[in-house]
Amino acid sequence: MSTQRAAPNATTGGAAQNAKRLTISGLSKSFGAVPAVRDLSLDVAPGEFLVLLGPSGCGKTTALRMIAGLEEANSGSIMIGDTDVTRMLPKYRDVAMVFQSYALYPHKTVAENIGFPLKVRGVAREARDKAVMEVAKQVHLETLLGRFPRQLSGGQRQRVALARAIIRRPAAFLMDEPLSNLDAKLRGFMRAELKHMQHALGVTTIYVTHDQIEAMTLANRVAIINQGVLQQLGTPREVYGDPANLFVAGFMGSPPMNLIEGRIEGGRFQGGGIGLKIAGPGGSRNATLGFRPEDAEVAAPGGGFFDARVYTVELTGEQTLVTVDLGGANLSIKMPKDFDADFDTQVGVRFPAGQAFLFDTETGERLRAHSVAVS
Amino acid sequence: MNNPGSPVRPLGARLFEAPAIGRMAPGTGVLVYGSLLLWSAFVLFPIYWVLITSFKEPIDINLKPVYLPWIDFTPSLHAWNELFVIDYEDTLKAYFNSIIIAPLSTLLCISVGSMAAYALARIQFRPKLASILIFVVSMIVAFAAIVSFGVDWRLAVAVALAVFALLVRALGRRFRRSIGNGEILFWMISQRILPPIVVVVPVYMMFQSVRLLDTHLALILAYSVVNLPIVVWLMYDFFLSIPIDLEESAQLDGATRFVTFWEIVLPLARPGLAATTLLVMILAWNEYLLALFLSTSKAQTMPILVAAMNAGERGTLWWSMSVVIIVMIIPVVIMALVLQRFISKGILLGAVKG
Repeated sequence: MSTQRAAPNATTGGAAQNAKRLTISGLSKSFGAVPAVRDLSLDVAPGEFLVLLGPSGCGKTTALRMIAGLEEANSGSIMIGDTDVTRMLPKYRDVAMVFQSYALYPHKTVAENIGFPLKVRGVAREARDKAVMEVAKQVHLETLLGRFPRQLSGGQRQRVALARAIIRRPAAFLMDEPLSNLDAKLRGFMRAELKHMQHALGVTTIYVTHDQIEAMTLANRVAIINQGVLQQLGTPREVYGDPANLFVAGFMGSPPMNLIEGRIEGGRFQGGGIGLKIAGPGGSRNATLGFRPEDAEVAAPGGGFFDARVYTVELTGEQTLVTVDLGGANLSIKMPKDFDADFDTQVGVRFPAGQAFLFDTETGERLRAHSVAVS
Repeated sequence: MNNPGSPVRPLGARLFEAPAIGRMAPGTGVLVYGSLLLWSAFVLFPIYWVLITSFKEPIDINLKPVYLPWIDFTPSLHAWNELFVIDYEDTLKAYFNSIIIAPLSTLLCISVGSMAAYALARIQFRPKLASILIFVVSMIVAFAAIVSFGVDWRLAVAVALAVFALLVRALGRRFRRSIGNGEILFWMISQRILPPIVVVVPVYMMFQSVRLLDTHLALILAYSVVNLPIVVWLMYDFFLSIPIDLEESAQLDGATRFVTFWEIVLPLARPGLAATTLLVMILAWNEYLLALFLSTSKAQTMPILVAAMNAGERGTLWWSMSVVIIVMIIPVVIMALVLQRFISKGILLGAVKG
């Protein structure tokens, strides 16, 4: 089910000296009878930014917590550098974690929060203060060191949590949806900050999110997980442009890929009232046709692969989103912002044959041998 | 409703509807403050009564009720004089006993109880039911051996523990039934369900056999054990309310479990700790039944002294009793004022909210 590729080396070009390779093999965990993570294998290069992406409850946070040592693995192993940490206590793993809730210590000041990892390691006061100041400057908190977390805004709290993670120069950063508590504008800003900082520090990072935009923008590689199983592992471009299965195709993109269920029979795809010529091996099977909203365009009736009724037209600012109704199923098409169409009129829909994907409806797997032939 | 269409509002609306947001209607104000005043009088009058009684001559107490010093009666320091000048040794001894016993037992109880509560809140225990039963049975056998056959107790206990360990190792795996934290918590509180009067004689005999009767240590230990379930129950709830993220974060930051407890959990549980401390302290300070049985003269506490004023050959000494009650209240009031500063809400603000 997964497209495994060898982890590219030094994808960031700036891996720090202490950045370590993180290798996960055959990791599984279930809570009672409910499997959370099933046979997960990942190889994260030193300094790489890997995003675990999936819907809520897919097991991505459990996977991260196992890497952190907060959850025990049922089977499989976790290696950080050359050390097997599978059964090691969290504090010996040399990883730092940023929680979704930030988990700042409310009774400690910003400086005490940031310095806590050094304090429990017995670092002397002067050295600690110096390190805190240095890190605080990196995240622009140097004027807020005496405040308590309750006196900070969401973005500032987020930066305290980051500072507390980077002060230790850990072998790996683990981040559990660190931006999801921020409002949309701040999230975009912090996303850029985060990417810049990770690049500058060159620390191996595993980042969990359900937000595909975050995944696309931050990651060197994305691992898409559903129901505890790795669906696809690849660069953002790969998982978006070359989805391995129906789940990845339907999960990535906003709005997601248009999917039309049907059947391949006698070299033709029939479904949703449309028929398309298919190249590839013969035989008949249930199949699903997919194409991206931005690859398709609206044409005059009869001028596309099929005709459909305009259901609604929405101007989003940068573009116009046209939703058409094809036999009860809604398909989205992105058109330029000056496009307009009347509701309930018939229009044609066309897309480049090379940008259409075919999937096996039963298994969800991509039918790579088949392709839409230009008709 | 202040409807512009009808300038004359009915009387009920004028009296009981707030004239503006954030202001109280006149009728409501009278009712609220009236009942508060009444309640304050109800609560404060006994204290006032005890206070003036401590300054009354016996004749002012026994003839008819008098209420106002310098008007109804002439205040006198005779009772204070008797207790703190003539008989000061007995009074001060009881006072100091209470001042030693109550805080020390509170300290012991809070430290043991809060750690137990934290363990129960954060660690899932699954002791096997069968192991507990084997332990109880081997202890009963050991007890029977000591009582009926005069076996040396050290030998009997050692043998019983060895048998227990062997049986658990041999049979433990065969049994599935185990109990959880809920049962352990219930077992703890069940220790308070028993009326104290039922256990006080066995407790007396226990302390007699270890020769600790009439010592501070006996009362400190007894109070700690008696109040432990309260501490565990209250603190268990407080610890549960602390977000687990904070502790996990501390673990990842490199803190040991004890450092996490000391640096993160305890400071955040401070309001609960303060409230529980105050409650346990008051319970220990005012405890009467155990003190009556376990102390005779050296370790006598204040409640015993108060009770003693009620049964002398001179009849009830209301004036002396009042003096003792007044001096008994003072430390608790001071303590409440000090601890109140910590019983504030909002300490968790900024921990996990975005």
